[in-house]
Parts: sequence; structure tokens; C-alpha cells
Amino acid sequence: MSDVIEGAALYDRLIVERSRTPHFAGRIEQPDRVGEGKNPLCGDKTRVELALTDNHISQVRHQTRGCAICLAAADLMAERITGLSVPQAREVGQRFSAMLVQETTTPPGHISGGQQETAALGQLEAFAPLRAHRSRIRCAELPWVALKEALVHVDI
Amino acid sequence: MSVGHHTTQPQQALESSAIRAQFPILGEKVHDRPLVFLDSAASAQKPNAVIDAMADTMRTQYANIHRGLHWMSERTTEAYEGVRDLVAGFLNAPSREEIVFTRNSTEAINLVAYSYGALLKPGQAVVISEMEHHANLVPWQMLRDRAGIELRIAPITDAGDLDMDAFKALLSDGNVALVAITHMSNVLGGVTPAKQIADLAHAAGALVLFDGSQFVVHRKTDVQALGADFYTFTGHKLYGPTGIGVLWARKELLEAMPPFMGGGDMISTVTFERSTWANVPHKFEAGTPAIIETIGLGAAISWVESIGMDAIAAHEAGLTAYALKRLQDVPGLSVVGNPQDRGGVVSFTMQDVHPHDLATLLDRNGIAIRAGHHCAEPLMRRLGLTATARASFGIYTLKQEIDVLADTLIRIRDFFV
Repeated sequence: MSDVIEGAALYDRLIVERSRTPHFAGRIEQPDRVGEGKNPLCGDKTRVELALTDNHISQVRHQTRGCAICLAAADLMAERITGLSVPQAREVGQRFSAMLVQETTTPPGHISGGQQETAALGQLEAFAPLRAHRSRIRCAELPWVALKEALVHVDI
Repeated sequence: MSVGHHTTQPQQALESSAIRAQFPILGEKVHDRPLVFLDSAASAQKPNAVIDAMADTMRTQYANIHRGLHWMSERTTEAYEGVRDLVAGFLNAPSREEIVFTRNSTEAINLVAYSYGALLKPGQAVVISEMEHHANLVPWQMLRDRAGIELRIAPITDAGDLDMDAFKALLSDGNVALVAITHMSNVLGGVTPAKQIADLAHAAGALVLFDGSQFVVHRKTDVQALGADFYTFTGHKLYGPTGIGVLWARKELLEAMPPFMGGGDMISTVTFERSTWANVPHKFEAGTPAIIETIGLGAAISWVESIGMDAIAAHEAGLTAYALKRLQDVPGLSVVGNPQDRGGVVSFTMQDVHPHDLATLLDRNGIAIRAGHHCAEPLMRRLGLTATARASFGIYTLKQEIDVLADTLIRIRDFFV
């Protein structure tokens, strides 16, 4: 199915499925932290709500209006950061950004720091082909912008 | 669609290959595919006539204009001022002195909002429509906030036409000083009934400005026949360069309006106490203008006129009718709007596939379209959408390219759903 259309590599099955059937869409009744991201160029919008327990992210929900990349990025971000400490979540975010902008195809995640395992990208590597679509990188980064805003005053 | 495409088919193919040969960029490949460029409404590609005119100016005949006392300056001034005559002819303006060169249509509208706006009194109103590009909306909001005028929004119908009854009602209290409306929507492709709008505006004591950025590319423009008071367009959508646009306004309006920007070239005399202004249009052209770009615009106008606006209009009407037909073959696709009179712009959405995902996948197949809110956010809200995909057609667009678009959209639909 995926080889009938040029460029389909960008749209990993996981991305298409999560954009159509997100697992973490919705709201948290009483969130501890909320962040929003908006891309004025395209109108994509995401709102990320977090529950924190002992400085760990215990629950994540997002409300996202946007393209498949943005929707799937929000949903897979929510999945990936659930259970992480705040610094761990930030580190995953940094690695995700680094993966999107790096020029070569060497394995992602060469950021200094001692949290190699907890900061692994896992399923988020599905977004790696975005490197060839510069104009779409911001779609995948938008939920992470919202997360950053949500965590801006969390000092650990 | 009132205009069929049956009569022009045979010559069209012939003409098209000769026309396309004049656009070097159309020979380029994108992602190893032949470029299918369906984004001319954002900015059109440039023919050799324009590229060469600009390059030749820089190579052989360039100096600053209006002030030089040497041969190069005199020749360049002639070339620059010659374009004013070409633009006047292109719009059928009564006088070359009514042509003001600006950076683009946005700057032309800002000029009117600033300089004509300075003549308005609190309580007077400006009417725009729901389908304006931000360029014909934000300058009026700024004027409203600066000068205490009222900004009224004329609604559109669900089909994407101006709601004429509602428009008349907005004019009825006699407080409207200016109606500023697009001559062709950059999103819906609808051509507005400009003559009727102008007549209604004038009957209510209002002036009328048309944003012709999209229209002038597709059809013959006659500001006198329209009864316009102000008309704006931009060069880069008309196969000319960026950085050059045009404001046409009736001379007595330009004479009554204060300058927009101050500086060199727009003055008559300058002392430390006060300055007096140059005659129109120079009063509105402060500083060294975009000389090379203006010459490029002149080349673009000569080039489209050599093909003929009527031939261009017929070519694009055929393509648009064909596109509307072919897009019906794509499952889940909806064309946005169904205006009574449509130019070569078609916006669409696909169920369950975001316009940006469409644009990315089309791009990987060599097809360039626009996706997003098209600088018309309030219109998107009116339509209940956040974004659309838009294909737009130009002088070089081929029927086969519309087939490539439709066939690729069908494959994208298969992939996503």
C-alpha cells in the first residue's frame, strides 16, 4: 500500500494510525500543568495537559487540531513521556528535536548526558524521515513546544 | 461553469508548448519528477522575457533614475517611466499620472488606508468583505483603531459569492466612505461583480477600491469600465518579479491625499522649516524605487499582452472547468465554494486527510500546490475550516497536469483511508 505513492515513507503506518485513532486525545479533569502550541502559519493547534506525581508525569492528554504529523506527534509524545520524570521528558524532547534537524542518518540520540536509556526515542523514530521535509518539522515539534510551556515553571 | 473548453482545445496544446518553452523553470525536476506547478496564485513563474529584461538592464543599461544628468540615468529613467505607460494601458487608466508604483498590492492598500484614510472622519465607515486576503483587511483594522472609523464586513453566501442584499444594507445609512473588496478571491476563485459593487457604492456616496491581485492575471482589466476609484495589483503574480506592485487611483484623489512616505523623489522643495510635495504620482514614490523590478513588470505586461488577455482567460476557463470535473473523481474530495463566476483557482479539502499532508505528498510527486489558510483566516472561520488545499492555474498550465493532480490525489486517498 505504501509504495504506490511517492513520499509515503514520511507517513509511517504508526503515524497514519495514531493520527486517525489517537490513544491520548482528551482532557484531564484537574491537570497540574497545561501548555499550548500554535502555528500561525498553518493554524495547527495543540493543548497538552499533564498530571504530575512526585515530579513524574503520571498522565498526559492532548487536544490537537492539525495535520497527521502533528496529531501523531502529540499522541506518541504523550505515550512516550508518561511515567518519565520532568528532566527525562525534557531530554527526550531535546533528542527528538536533534533527530529532526540532523543532516546524516546516523542513529539519533547523541546528546551528552547520562540518561541514555530513559531518553531513548523508541517509537518517536518514526518521525525521522521528516528530516527530508524541512517545512514539516515544525508540525512534529508543536506538541513538544506545548510540553515545554507546560513544564516551564517546574524546577527540579 | 458558463465557459466551455471545447472550442479552444486544439490550439491550446500547440500554444502551451510554445508558452512553456519560455519558462526555463518548467524544465526543472522536483524529487526526480517533472515539476507540476499549480501554485501560480501564490506567485507565478517568470518567462524569459522578464528574466532577460531585468538581467539586460543590469548588464547594459542601469543607473539611478529621475536625478541623473548622464546618459545611463536618462535611458534608465525612460525605461522606468515607460512602464507607467504600459501599466496605464494594461488597466485602461485615463492617465499615466494615476499609476503609483509600490512594493506590492499590500503596500498599495496600506498607502490608500494611510493617505486616503487621513481624510476620513470618525464615524465614517469602510466596508470590506468576508473573503478578503489579510492584505485588504489588516490595513483597515489599523485605520479603524487609529482614526476611529467603523469597519463593516459584507458577508458572503455559502457558495462564496458576495451577499448583495446584505452588502446594500451595509451601505444604506450613507456613512460609508469606501468599499474595499477583492476583484477575485484568492481562496474561492470567485470573481466579484465589480461594476455592480462600484455602482452601488457610488449611489451610496462611497468610493470603491478593488484588490485586483488575482484578477488581473486572468482577465482583461478596465478600471474605467468598472467605475473603480482605486485599483491595486502586484507584479509577481502576473509573471513579473517580486518587489513591484501598482496602485491606480483617480488623479483628483491622489492629489487630495497626503503623502504616504517621505523622502527623496517625492518632494518639490525642502527646507528645514517645511517641504512641498512633487506632483502625482511621484508624491507617493519616496526614495529610489524598485527600478529593475519595475522594468521586469513592464516586460511581463508586454508579454501577457502579446498573448492576449482574452486567450489567457479562455485557456484558464477551460482548465478550471476540466479541474472541477476531474476533482469529482477523487473520493472524499470537496471543492470549497461554488461561486457564480470562477477564475483559475480551486480550493478543496479531502475527508480525513489534512491539507498539509496532501500538500506534502503531492510535493513528493512533483506537484506544487498551496495548503493552509491562504492569508484569509476570517474566511476560513466563515467556511468552518482551518485550512484548504488550493490548486491554481496559469498561462502555462496543461490539462495533463490536472490529470496528474487528480490521479495523485486518488492514490493519496487510497494510502490514507
